[in-house]
Amino acid sequence: MNNTTKETLTEINLLEPNELEEIEIKLLLEGLYQMYGYDFRSYVRGSIGRRILYRMKAERLPTITALLEKVLHEPGVLERLLNDFSIRMTEMYRDPSFFAAFRNEVVPLLRDLPEIRIWHAGCATGEEVYSMAILLKEEGLLEKARIYATDMNEKALQAAQKGAFPLKKMQQYTKNYLKAGGKMAFSEYYTADHQFAYFSSSLNEKLTFAQHNLVSDSSFNEFHVILCRNVMIYFDNALQQQVHGLFYESLADGGFIGLGSKESILSMPKGMKYAEFNSTEKIYRKKVDA
Amino acid sequence: MKGLHFNIHTKIIAGYLFILICLVISLLIVMNRMSAMQQEVDFVSQHDIEVHNLANQIQKNVLDMETGMRGYVITGNEEYLEPYHTASRNWLDNFNKLHSLLASNGSQQRNLDEIKPLIQKWFTNSAENVVNQKKINNQAALDQHFNNNKGKKMTDELRAHFDSFLENQNKLTSKRVEQLNQDNNNLKITLYGLIIVVTLITIATAVFLANSIVNTIKQVVRTIKNVTDSRETEVDLSTRIEVSTHDETRELAEAMNELLSSLEKQNWVQKGVAEISTMYQGMTDLTELTHAFITKLTPMLDAVYGVVYLRKSQGSEVRYVKEAGYALVSEEAAGVSFGLGEGLIGQAAMDQRIFLIDNLPEEHFKVSSGLGKSSPRNLLVAPILVDGRVEAVVEIAAFQPFMAQHLTLLDLLQDKFGSAITNVAGRMEVERLLGESQVLTEELQAQSEELQAQSEELQMQQEQLRITNEYLEEQKQYAEQRAFELKKAKDELEEYSRKLQLSSQYKTDFLANMSHELRTPLNSILILSQMLMENDEEMDNSEVKDSSRVIYTAGSDLLRLIDDILDLSKIEAGKIEILTDEVNVTEIPQMMKNMFNPVAAKKNLNFEVHTAANVPAVITTDGQRLQQIWKNLLSNAFKFTEQGSVTVNIEHACREKVEELLPGLDEEEFVLAISVSDTGIGIAKEKQEIIFNAFQQVDGTTNRQFGGTGLGLSICREFTRLLGGAITVESEPEKGSTFTLYIPGRLEGADYALQLEQLAQNEVAVSVIEIEEQLPVNEEPETPEEIEAEASDDDQLFKGKKVLLAEDDRRNVFALVTALEKKGVKVQVAENGKSAIELLQKQADFDLVFMDIMMPVMGGYEAMKVIREDLGMERLPIIALTAKAMKGERDKCMEAGASDYIMKPLNINQLFSLMRVWLTQQVNEE
Repeated sequence: MNNTTKETLTEINLLEPNELEEIEIKLLLEGLYQMYGYDFRSYVRGSIGRRILYRMKAERLPTITALLEKVLHEPGVLERLLNDFSIRMTEMYRDPSFFAAFRNEVVPLLRDLPEIRIWHAGCATGEEVYSMAILLKEEGLLEKARIYATDMNEKALQAAQKGAFPLKKMQQYTKNYLKAGGKMAFSEYYTADHQFAYFSSSLNEKLTFAQHNLVSDSSFNEFHVILCRNVMIYFDNALQQQVHGLFYESLADGGFIGLGSKESILSMPKGMKYAEFNSTEKIYRKKVDA
Repeated sequence: MKGLHFNIHTKIIAGYLFILICLVISLLIVMNRMSAMQQEVDFVSQHDIEVHNLANQIQKNVLDMETGMRGYVITGNEEYLEPYHTASRNWLDNFNKLHSLLASNGSQQRNLDEIKPLIQKWFTNSAENVVNQKKINNQAALDQHFNNNKGKKMTDELRAHFDSFLENQNKLTSKRVEQLNQDNNNLKITLYGLIIVVTLITIATAVFLANSIVNTIKQVVRTIKNVTDSRETEVDLSTRIEVSTHDETRELAEAMNELLSSLEKQNWVQKGVAEISTMYQGMTDLTELTHAFITKLTPMLDAVYGVVYLRKSQGSEVRYVKEAGYALVSEEAAGVSFGLGEGLIGQAAMDQRIFLIDNLPEEHFKVSSGLGKSSPRNLLVAPILVDGRVEAVVEIAAFQPFMAQHLTLLDLLQDKFGSAITNVAGRMEVERLLGESQVLTEELQAQSEELQAQSEELQMQQEQLRITNEYLEEQKQYAEQRAFELKKAKDELEEYSRKLQLSSQYKTDFLANMSHELRTPLNSILILSQMLMENDEEMDNSEVKDSSRVIYTAGSDLLRLIDDILDLSKIEAGKIEILTDEVNVTEIPQMMKNMFNPVAAKKNLNFEVHTAANVPAVITTDGQRLQQIWKNLLSNAFKFTEQGSVTVNIEHACREKVEELLPGLDEEEFVLAISVSDTGIGIAKEKQEIIFNAFQQVDGTTNRQFGGTGLGLSICREFTRLLGGAITVESEPEKGSTFTLYIPGRLEGADYALQLEQLAQNEVAVSVIEIEEQLPVNEEPETPEEIEAEASDDDQLFKGKKVLLAEDDRRNVFALVTALEKKGVKVQVAENGKSAIELLQKQADFDLVFMDIMMPVMGGYEAMKVIREDLGMERLPIIALTAKAMKGERDKCMEAGASDYIMKPLNINQLFSLMRVWLTQQVNEE
């Protein structure tokens, strides 16, 4: 991490009394990795620290070391901690303008492909995966598309596979769907009971959910579109570079990559190999090797 | 000309001098030759003339002597001796003069020498002798002398000598003149030769001079052109002009070369600046930036080692920390950090100046390669200043001394590198903050969600506690509860009975209405029959007849009413069978006349039936139903007409009318129009629609005035629909009415029957809803048991929710209301946007609004806009009901403020799903 001098200073001042805590966090992450293989060591420290502290308080433990002990000896705690780590706020058609841009600008370029492979890396509970499936269906592309939705959190994946989303968010999702340029009535795609809206299984046919860890796993196919939105903001610089390397490897020539609104690919070493396709919506296109 | 080092100045002067010398030499030669010739000419002109003169003088002297002697001899006069003496004195002088003149010419001298003794001999022997004789007057001697003629022989000889001498002399002179001519010619030739030689020399010199000057200049020009004409965009500044001469051109070339090398240096510096500056673009990491900088800069300065120290402040202390290096031996080789003033790095940062150190001691440090180590002897420490602050220090070491352009490059780069550092640092900071803010936002969101989950959990726990409490209480109050249950059961029973009462109310009311209709004729039948029964012969036959007729009429009315009700209920149940057959249209007028002529005659009305010429003779439809319809219409017409006429027109229906009324029909299809016009009481505009409804006549009194069940037109309309046709009315009160029946010429059998069934069912719905509208109490369609059994969370979601339905199509209204009420939703219906708004103004607690788009008076878009903007109900969910989705319509809905939309035809499950979404309290709604 390279900070300008002033900020390094404030950070040092902040952390100095908590040096012990810092060591404990390191130990906990190391322990997690050694014991279970979950590698959070390259995550942005501030965020992961706050989550560990949160879990520590939630478990009513005095120290992080105590949490480590519990994590190592009580599997239930591990699950809760992992859930804390991988909490990702996601919603259907999150940033509707992104999906609108995808629909209007990217989709026309995908139309001629005989087969469209899309990788949704870090799909969490799958809201955006279903959003994309609906979008493709409305554009008549779902039939020849295959969406690979991956996340490292198995629980989230299970939820994603169900395609059931709480009713109490559905009004927002409906608004997003309409803003993202939805062509039909949103209600055509779900049936609801008093708790959840269940997205129709016809969408599910073209979705493949699989566990995949961006930190440790390698590429598994060549894709025409990769979506990885608001996942890498939790990664430190080195890990981001590593993951971008993975994406670069997995992306077909002329393929698209969509990032979160606060993310950019141009600062990455591979950045020059992408063209800015839509800079405001953070859609980049891999240049065709000359 | 190599080795001769002349400048152009000297060359030109030397050239001219050389030509001048050549000219002078040739001039001298010519002059010399000319003076020689002049001598010759002089010699010829003076010497030869003198010789001639002298020779002639001598001859004259001799002649004078002879003449004088002879004169004296003859005369004896002494005076004649005067010339004689003068000549004898002079001749020798002249002779000697001539002799000396001829010194150069031996042969002439010899000739002359021969003359001298002759003269002397003559003088002594002849002249002197004669004179002397005379003086002595010796005439004899004289005579003897002259007789001897001795003197004469001597003078003749002398003369001959002289002649030969002169002739020789003339020959000599002419020879000399010839020689002179010859010389003159030679001189001319020499002169021409010289001119040619000098010209050649001059040309040669000029050519040589020109070449030696121009060649070098050309060489310089060629080199400059080579420099500037290089095809590549970049000018090749490394070329140098090579000159072999040592003149001003060389100076020019050297000056040019100097200019080139200064340009090359400048260019090198600029290129270096540009190369390093462009490198910064797109960099977002300080380490990467500094690394790229030092990696680029070090080789550019021909250095072998370089380190960049970046300013980092920790509190008040500022340190310069090693960030990137070039050819570092190991981490320890360069100091990791320096304070202000600490070491050369710190000093350079403090003094803000460049340190340039030559001749480092060998042991200062070593740069190693695989083969060995050596010490760079030159060190350069440069601070990078930005706005007066040293952001970084660069240290570079090289084997060779640093050159001026290296320092210039470093100086120029200082600014750019410095601002790049601050830029990148700023950008990194912004990115870091952005990322952090995003993470924080997400975390906040996650936490708030979690908090909500926790609060929900708490609520649940509370609920559980409460339940436990309740359970305990229930345990305690078991007996009480039983009593309560009993009471509840009783209440429920009461409720059931109330509901039963309610549900029977419909039937009651319907029956009440029906009974009213049935009672009227029955009443008269009963009264009259009672009167007949109690007949105590006070009644005469005619009275009995009249009563019987009334009873008969009432009875047949009743029968007709019952038939009608049965017909109607059959239609509504879809149990009427349509039997298509060929119907002869031409027979209809006759049938009408047969049937109604008596009535017309009785009421004294004019009755006419016109058939248009183009009406086909045969159509395919259900003849019996058709007859029932026109019969109904005609009987109505006769019933309500007191005077005037009843006219029937059978014709081909006009196209526009058909399209309007029967839109589903094939355009080519023939449609029969039967219109029945009367001049009766007529129907007011607003009542024209309801007369087709069951039990509705224009007003309550009509029935009593004109009789009839009031079901006739309802049945007509239902039959017409069964036949695939339509019926319309045009009327004006007090003037009359025209009912027009449109019947398609061809009614399909089997296919159509199915459609009819559906149509019939729809009609049932319509009819029921019409009935319901008339009846005051709406009955729950489900039994209480069913409601109880289905009690669930889902029902909780719907139960008691208030929904406003703005929709003008009655069938839709009926379908929606029935479905929603089944779920326990309270529905209020508005016929158009305007009444929906009025309802909302009156009662703002609706949970959901369904808004049709196409409505009379005020459409859905406008209504939604008013609700959102004027009523300020921003949160009220409004679901637009649209016909088949068109993009424009969808956008307009959203623009108008619809929360969601659903397309017709409505799918009831989709509708419920959608309602569940819009009736659920949302997380982020306050």
